[in-house]
Formats: sequence, structure tokens, C-alpha cells
Amino acid sequence: MKTVFEKSSAEIKGMEMPAPQVEKHIFAEGLLRDGLRLPELSEQEVARHYTALSKRAFGVDDGFYPLGSCTMKYNPKLHEKLAALAGFADVHPLTRADKIQGSLALIDTLNSYLCGITGMDAFTTQPCAGAHGEFLGLLLIKAYHASRGDGARTKVIIPDSAHGTNPASAVMAGFEVVHAGTDASGDIDLDALRALVGADTAALMLTNPSTLGLFEKNVLKIAEIVHDAGGLMYYDGANLNAVAGVVRPGDMGFDVVHLNLHKTFSAPHGGGGPGAGPVGCKKALVPFLPNPRIADTDEGFRFNYGKRSAGRVSAFYGNFGVLVKALAYIVTLGGEGIAQASETAVLNANYLREKMSLHYPIDTSRPCMHEFVVSMKKLKDDTGVTANDVAKALIDRGIHPPTIYFPLIVEEAMMFEPTETETKEGLDRAAEAFGEIVRLAYADPAAVKRAPVTTPIGRPDEAAAARHPVLVG
Amino acid sequence: MSDYISLTDKEREEMLSVLGVGSVRELFADIPAELGRLKVRLSQGRTQKETEELVSSFAARNKVYKSVFLGAGCYRHYIPAAVGAIVGREEFLTAYTPYQPEISQGILQAMFEYQTMMCSLTGMDVSNASHYSGATAAAEACLMCLGKTRTIGVYDNVNPDTLETVATYARARGVKVVVLPSSGGKAVPYEGEADAVYMESPNYFGLVEDVTAVADAVHIAGGKLVVGCNPVSLALFRTPAELGADIAVGDGQPLGLPMSFGGPSFGFITAKKEFTRKLPGRIVGETADAEGRRAFVLTLQAREQHIRREKASSNICSNQAHAALTASVYLSLMGSAGLRAVAETCAANAHYLADKLSEAGAPRVHKGEFFHEFVTDVKGKAAEIVCALDRQDILGGLVLSPDRILWCCTETVSKSDMDKVAETVGRVLK
Repeated sequence: MKTVFEKSSAEIKGMEMPAPQVEKHIFAEGLLRDGLRLPELSEQEVARHYTALSKRAFGVDDGFYPLGSCTMKYNPKLHEKLAALAGFADVHPLTRADKIQGSLALIDTLNSYLCGITGMDAFTTQPCAGAHGEFLGLLLIKAYHASRGDGARTKVIIPDSAHGTNPASAVMAGFEVVHAGTDASGDIDLDALRALVGADTAALMLTNPSTLGLFEKNVLKIAEIVHDAGGLMYYDGANLNAVAGVVRPGDMGFDVVHLNLHKTFSAPHGGGGPGAGPVGCKKALVPFLPNPRIADTDEGFRFNYGKRSAGRVSAFYGNFGVLVKALAYIVTLGGEGIAQASETAVLNANYLREKMSLHYPIDTSRPCMHEFVVSMKKLKDDTGVTANDVAKALIDRGIHPPTIYFPLIVEEAMMFEPTETETKEGLDRAAEAFGEIVRLAYADPAAVKRAPVTTPIGRPDEAAAARHPVLVG
Repeated sequence: MSDYISLTDKEREEMLSVLGVGSVRELFADIPAELGRLKVRLSQGRTQKETEELVSSFAARNKVYKSVFLGAGCYRHYIPAAVGAIVGREEFLTAYTPYQPEISQGILQAMFEYQTMMCSLTGMDVSNASHYSGATAAAEACLMCLGKTRTIGVYDNVNPDTLETVATYARARGVKVVVLPSSGGKAVPYEGEADAVYMESPNYFGLVEDVTAVADAVHIAGGKLVVGCNPVSLALFRTPAELGADIAVGDGQPLGLPMSFGGPSFGFITAKKEFTRKLPGRIVGETADAEGRRAFVLTLQAREQHIRREKASSNICSNQAHAALTASVYLSLMGSAGLRAVAETCAANAHYLADKLSEAGAPRVHKGEFFHEFVTDVKGKAAEIVCALDRQDILGGLVLSPDRILWCCTETVSKSDMDKVAETVGRVLK
């Protein structure tokens, strides 16, 4: 398809914007640029271009989207309407506190709900995404140890099943990464952990349920080992959708938590963002939260500037519009609704796994949480058809593929997360499609390798894209 | 409260029986009993109507002003209705990061077009597919330049939130931050050692900087220059690339995004070609499928955290894709003439107001060319002025000190609004 630039015509002028009602300012000649190349189209052409692009994309409303670790649940329409209210959207972040009591109250209310859900004592909404939250959470931990004169804690322990953001965030926060081994079911090896911790342990980062979709049974033991060594426990909230309203990270022994409001709390992913990654912590770390903090005073909500902040990580107060959507979600569901959502997410995942296991060997001996990982190694060994091939064949059957080749500890991994909003019919159909693809792989592997054939393009040459980068058009 | 769950009770029973369990709680058997017994206490659920009423009541407690003269990093511009109608399409709004190119060509192509537009505005060779905000874009751009000196210089006349964010990112990695002085509101060329120097033009006070003079000094000392810029101003001014910057960054909110209490916005990072493999976050490239059809893909992923883990160029995963798409649609609707008109009207209004305020007894504090923001001396009456404007449904400029107000004019303010501001300032100062 032509790009918006290729559709441009020099004859067309874009939208007419109001001319100044006052005298135009003439800048010194040397300051001004020559031409500016932007698309030149009529409004209808712009609308058609982007509508055509939208038809070459796949959203949650288009079909089943079991992308593991991403929690692609339905995004309620009401939330878009609320975030767009002039009382939120048309408000400047530097307005005097007494004129923006609504925004401050909303953040404060959301923070207290998030404290209730996680068992933390305070939250900040400044981080714009999960990885951004990880970065800040680790800075809180660093500031905490530093405040105690404990400068030797330079290492963060991360299981090999963790999201790539964990080790990357630890490095950005100035820590050294130590890898913790996991057993076949993704649980941390306790003896190995005991040998790893010590006076240099700053924290352990853990996703629970793990990226294998299994609840870390020994979490209390792990917390004890890390705490006894003087380290802190960091909770990666990417998988909270399994246990929100059921158990609290704070009760599991975690000291710092980040949440992904664009996962568990239903804010849309927007084709890659914006998300929101609020960070919560236990009392001992509260003084290090970034400024400004919001305080509930006798004169209403006010901004507070603490002296011990671990530092600002972005402008203003984070992705406020996303916070509005998360709050709307929480108040609609309530405590019971949130627990029911988690339970249904877990039920849907177990059911899909069970149904898929009728077609292909999948270990169902231990209940999974909200997601599960299938290794396509046997299929690959038997037929040459890979996880990637199966993913492409699912596309032809109207299903967005699961996450593939993650976690790294499972060969030919496919990670399915159906979420609580999917229908039983959708799950049944997906299991059938999966079975049909497995059978086709044995009967005619080349046919699976040709997929997808129903899409505007076939498989692109990604190696060529990286070898000879064409990044602008 | 269960509006968003699709299962019926009967289906739930069927599914449990397929799994051979009596209740869904049996599926949570791995959770230690002592944890499961603790109750998570939250409010009762609500209907959507009740939620709408409740959340709207928060919005009603904020004041929405008829006219806004406050900028300082967030700007009220006119947003054509077509922007919201187009970007509100669920295929854009509810999709994930385009990991599967065959069903994500629309999103990938839009990102590719976005990268092209940002390079066009800044004059740079490459762009990533967005960062969280202008502040984080500045921070990560400085980190891209890290070398021997492990030092980053930041001018004291940049947006204070950005300065603080750069400092947080730098300190976290054990990198030294030197705050560089300005004189008369403008950056003084720095000849000391630094891997990166960060400046803004227009700067926090709205002044157009002599970027080339700073670039020359930085380059002689062996460093790289990162320039933060307002994207609307780039419709008028020479590009950062042309002036000698190595990396140009900024906050994209002025390009068709509402103020939204400060977010979501997005940061752009554009750079000279040599930095391509150091850029943080997603980048889209053009390629072809086996039949030679044009295709777009996420590329150069060997930089990224999901491949490189602790060796990645950055930890960023989710970015601000939808906000960047919004800016692309806005720019497509504007075209070069439309964006130039917006920029010219902003500048014309700001210069008109500056003259009027000077006549009213509040002259500009700085000399030199400015874009759409400027600082005036209000002789200790800043708070009083802002309060008097508030009573007239006008959001005044940012109070920098009792003596100083930072004003901003966009194309949304009218001549009569500006006359009213000047008249009010004159009255308070009399």
C-alpha cells in the first residue's frame, strides 16, 4: 500500500488554520527553515488512508487475541468516553492545585485502590509503562539501601524465566544482574537461591505467577531467604490478572510492586502504548517515591515535595488518561468483580489448555494460572513445523497468535493467555483450529509453512530489513 | 459489574466438568493456604451508569478555562475532530505491539510514516517509534552518547522536569551530571568535557537559542549535542540537524494531543544515522514478502530488551504508539502549510501579548527572539495577576517567582483574550 507521502499532491493544501488576528511576527531570515515535507492531502484522503491502514490491523474487537503475558482483554468503550471528558482532557497539569481537585482526587483514589489490591502502603503513578515502573521500583530499592548506609548491595537476582525488561531495567538502575535457575515447572531452585543471596543482594525480581503461567508455590520461602539476607522483594505485576482480588503481593512478602494498567486494568494497548506502570511500595520505601506526591490535607489535595525522593522519571504525573480508564474499571468491577475476573481468566486458560491437549501432548498435571506455555518441539522434531509456523497458520483461522519463543527456557514456546473476557465458543474454536493445524503439519507440513495466505502480505523478509535498514520513506 | 465477562453460569459448569474440578478455586491450589485466607477488601461493583456518574464527578471538580496562557511543557492547541475520529478506531486502539507483521501492516506502516514525519521535522536521518515523553526521550538520548567521560551536561534553562529526569537516568548509571549556565536566559557555549550536552531551543523561557554556537563548542570538546525542541516550532525554524545537533528530541503533545493533565503524550527521538543501532525502543523498517510485496516490520530488534536482556540499549518495551499515531494523523491533516500557519499564529499572538504586557508595565525579562513563550517582570505581583485572571476564566502563565511569569500563546487564544490579560496585568500593577 502507498504511504501517506506517496499519496500527497503538491496542489493540495491541508486543513486551513486560522490566520492571526494580530500582526504577523517576522523572524530574522537566518532563523527560518526552507521547505517542510509533510503529507499534503484533503481531509477525506487522510480519513481514507488511515481507515485503510486500520483494516490492515487486528484489535481485540476483531477476534481472539491470546497473546501471552499481554493480557489482551476487552477494553470497555465507556472508558474512552470518560478519559476524553473536557474536565480531564482539557486540563493543564500545572494548574494551581485548588482548581484541579478532581484530577488529584482521582489519582489519590486510584492509588488507594491499588494499595488495597496489592497490599502496598503507597503508590506513584508517574511511570508510563511496566518497564518504566521497574526502573523506578529498583531506584526506590537502591535509595532505601543507600539511606541505611548499605552501599554494598549492588546485585539484583532475576530468574531465567523473567521478562527481558527485568534484567534491562536492573542495568539501567545501575545494578549487576545475577541469574537464578528455575526447575522444569518454572519454580525457583531454593538451594541455588540460598547460595546466591548475600550482603551484595539488593533485591530479587519475581513475576508471580511466573512466565510459565504457574504460581510460585515457594514464594513465602523465597521472600524469607531474600529478606534474611537483607535484600528486598520486587514484584513484576505483568501477570497480576491471575490473582488480582485473590491474593496480594504484599502478603506474599513483596516490598515493591509495579502494575501494568494496560494489562490487568483493561486500558487499551494502543498498538504498543501508552500504558501506565504505577509503582507501589511498603512503608519503609515511601520517602523515596518521586515528587510531587499528592497529600490529602484539611484544605483539600495538595502537592508535596519530599526531600529524599529517588528522582523524577518523567514529566508531570504519568499517563493520566490511562489512570482514568483504570479507575473506571476498578469501580465498575469492585472487589468481587476483580476476583471473579481473575478466576475466570484462570478457568479460561485451564479450559483452553485442556481442550488443546486433546490434539497435542501438553502437560496438564498441574493447574495453570491465567496463561500457559506449550512447547512445539515435538511437532518440530516430527514434522519440521515450528512454533512460528503454527502462529502464522492461526492467523489464517482468524486468531491472533499467542506469544512465541518466550519464555526463553522453553524450546519452541507458545504462550497462550485467553483472559476472562473471551467466550467459551472462542476458546473451543481456537482449540479446534490448533488441532487442525497440528494434523495438517503431519499431513502436509509445506501447507503450514506457506501460512498466512489470507493476509495482505505473506511472511516478510525480516533479515533483509535488518541488514539494509530502510527506516524512513 | 460482570458486564465484561462473557461466560454464562451453564458454560462455567461445563468447563469445570471438562477440567474435572468442582469449583474454580481448586485451580488455585498452588497458592499457599495462609495467603488465600487473607481477604482483599475493595468496594462493591457498580453498573456502567454508576461508574460514569462517579468518574464524571471527578472531572467536574477540575476547572476548564475558556482560554489558556499556560505552557511550560504542555500546550492547548486546536485539535481537528477528524483526529479523534480516526485514531479512535478500535483496530488502532486495542491492538498490541505489532509482533505479527502480516496482520499488523496498518500499524507498522503508520509507525513508518510517523518516523518519516519526525525526521522531516527535525532534519535527522532516523527516528524510533516513540518514547514515553519529551523528558524520557531527552534522558535516553543522552545515554545513547555515553563514552569515556561518563558525564552529561544539561543547561539550567531547560524544562526543569526534563532536567530532573535526565539527572535521574544518569545518576542511576553512575554518570555525572553537570548543570551548565545560561546568561540572559540563553545557553553559554560549554567547552568542558562531556559525552553529551542537552539544550533546548526554544528553551524553557521560549527563547530561540544559537544552537550552532553550542554545537561547535561541544564538538570541539569531543561531545555530542542533544537538542530538545517543540515540534510545532519546527514548522518555522531551521532544523536541529542543520544547526549541528547530533540527536533531536522533544515532546509530541503539541501535535494534536489534548493536555490531559500531562499525559499520555509521547517523546520523539531522532538522530544522525550513526546512532541508528543505539536508539531505544521500537523501530519500523521497510522490506518485502516472498512475492515482492512491500512490507513493514519491527526491525533492528537486536538492540532490544526481549532479545538482549541486560545488554539491551534500553529497557523500554511499551512505548506511546497510539499517541505517536495521533500526531501522524494531525500532521497529515495539517500539511506543511497548516502546521506553518499554527506556528505563525502562535508566534504572532505571543509577540502581540508581549508588547501589550510591556505597555501595561510588565516588560520581557530576556532579550532576543522567542517563539510562543516569554517571561515578563511583574514586580512581585505574580500571584495576584494569576488570581485576577482566574476570575475571568483565564488560566494565566506559570508563576516562576513572585516577580516572574512565563506566558504562552497558542493559536487558540483570541485578540480579545490577550487584550483582557494585558488590561488585567496593567490594573494589578497600577
